[in-house]
Amino acid sequence: MAFWDDSSFMIFSKREPLLIFAGFVALILASLPVVGAPESWLVYLFLFFIYLAMANMWNLLAGYAGLISLCQPAFLGLAGYAMTVGTWVGIPWWIGLIGGGIVAAVFALAISTAVFRLSGVYFAIGTLVVPEALRMVFYLWRPVGGQMHGAGAGYMVKGIGDLSGDVIYWLALVVALSSVVLMRLILRSELGLGLAAIRDNERSAASSGINIFKLKLYTFIIAAAVTGLAGGVFYLNQGYVEPTATFNVKWTMTLLLATVMGGLRTEEGPILGTIVVVVLYFLLARYGGYSFLIQGLILIGIMLLSPQGIIGLLRRLHLPAAGRVRGF
Amino acid sequence: MRGKVMGSVDVFTPVLMGIMLGGLYALIALGLSLVFGVMRLINLAHGDLVILSSYISYAIFTYLAVDPILGLVITIPFMLLLGFLIQKYILGRGFAISSETPLIIAFGISLVLQNLNQILWTPLSRGLNTSYSHMSFFIGERQFPVSYLLAFLAGIVVMVGLRAFLTRTYMGRAITAASQDKRAAQLMGINTNRIYGYAFAIAMGAAAVAGVFLGMTFPFTPTSGISFLTIAFGTVVIGGLGSMLGTFLAGIILGLSQTLGGYLFGSASQMLIVYVLVLAILAIRPHGLLGR
Repeated sequence: MAFWDDSSFMIFSKREPLLIFAGFVALILASLPVVGAPESWLVYLFLFFIYLAMANMWNLLAGYAGLISLCQPAFLGLAGYAMTVGTWVGIPWWIGLIGGGIVAAVFALAISTAVFRLSGVYFAIGTLVVPEALRMVFYLWRPVGGQMHGAGAGYMVKGIGDLSGDVIYWLALVVALSSVVLMRLILRSELGLGLAAIRDNERSAASSGINIFKLKLYTFIIAAAVTGLAGGVFYLNQGYVEPTATFNVKWTMTLLLATVMGGLRTEEGPILGTIVVVVLYFLLARYGGYSFLIQGLILIGIMLLSPQGIIGLLRRLHLPAAGRVRGF
Repeated sequence: MRGKVMGSVDVFTPVLMGIMLGGLYALIALGLSLVFGVMRLINLAHGDLVILSSYISYAIFTYLAVDPILGLVITIPFMLLLGFLIQKYILGRGFAISSETPLIIAFGISLVLQNLNQILWTPLSRGLNTSYSHMSFFIGERQFPVSYLLAFLAGIVVMVGLRAFLTRTYMGRAITAASQDKRAAQLMGINTNRIYGYAFAIAMGAAAVAGVFLGMTFPFTPTSGISFLTIAFGTVVIGGLGSMLGTFLAGIILGLSQTLGGYLFGSASQMLIVYVLVLAILAIRPHGLLGR
């Protein structure tokens, strides 16, 4: 299916009911803390929002730009550290949050000189090294004094005592919604069309005057910024940041699983996949180490049985929802 | 790190330590290099498979009281079989789907193994502490751990063995042929799918040897795999593809950079120096120092 016969140009006609429905869901989600929803719901949803924003960005990178990036923990971790360390030197948390997104974007630009020379599997493993190196850096480097006692190189987020959990919840919701809207906008913009052309045939796209390097770099930077923002909100909620859990491959695993399970290279995939991941996370939480073991097995199973995830499965079963899926 | 500079501290000690360490790194990287060379797959689970072999040797050593090097008669066949099964039933099917599928599957295998190791053997740091792995040998006043020398020698043995296998035996030549031109090899009557299975199995056999000597040299935890994957990948990248000798030299470059980095800047930053070196080399020469 070519991209122009997709219903993308009919957002305001055919898709109107869908848009209204989405707005309705967003309103309900936003009102939950006010109407006194159970605390546990808010915890689940908060995690859902954070993972959704990050999974959307991973989908953009891996699914649409062909960049299998395994360095997402670097972006969310750097943003988290930037915000946290900022609160230690008197920068308000909300400036730190935005600053964190910028730091992640600048870092993406900085490492792009190294990792963009690599393609395919080289790119994947080149990016895998980045969070490992950063973890070492943050073990050794203490940007400001007074590290948390007993947990190595960790920092508490300062001066958020009067920040209510509801505000953090809404921040997460805003980031998640923005990521969904951003995906729609990007995929229907010149950038998205360029990426689609590259995906279909890189060589013919290049000879049609598309600057492949530039488009991929823009995508990489955008994804880094949004992942960084989501990471900042996550650490705002957690209240502290430390290197081991931050620059951890388990983040990558979660984003990969959410995207792949829902359907790589589909817009709806990460939403479905993230719901499943969050449900799994809480179902499996009590089993500790088995949780990631089972998630790993699910990842392998899905890749083998239904490489396009739940969306792919729906499409194969010819369910109505699958009609909207964009083709390869 | 255990067994670092113990005698007088001059530059000769880190140099020799680095060269011996390089042999171990090359040993770890050989399996990754073989799989990459033949299947064009970066096996993201390689480090965890090496650590799995360390744990199996640990189990054999602890519960059966069999020397880990003798225990290779169990560890190698086990890993050979595991490698063949992984390729045949999991990765091989992934290759048929798309080019990124095996990469993501390998990532999944890596996480499964990490957590399996954690469940089976707890997250505690383990080591293969045989009677001789703590011994030292002396060159003049300087003292060196025997385990480093053993690992270096094992690296040479496996490298020479693999080279001989790939150039002298029928199966080795078939593997080489399949890696050079898959379709031509098929036309010559080589069953490339089976050959991939054998190549992966042999890579895992090399990983089994690597796991044993790694376990005698360094303490390991279930999450150690990723740092050794990084080292192995760095070795393959610096050494270039398909060259066993290049891999060996690259291992020594990395080993030297680690020990000299530790000597010059303090041992806390020595792994960071290795990571930065890998990224820097990728940026300057994406296909390796000795590669094309």
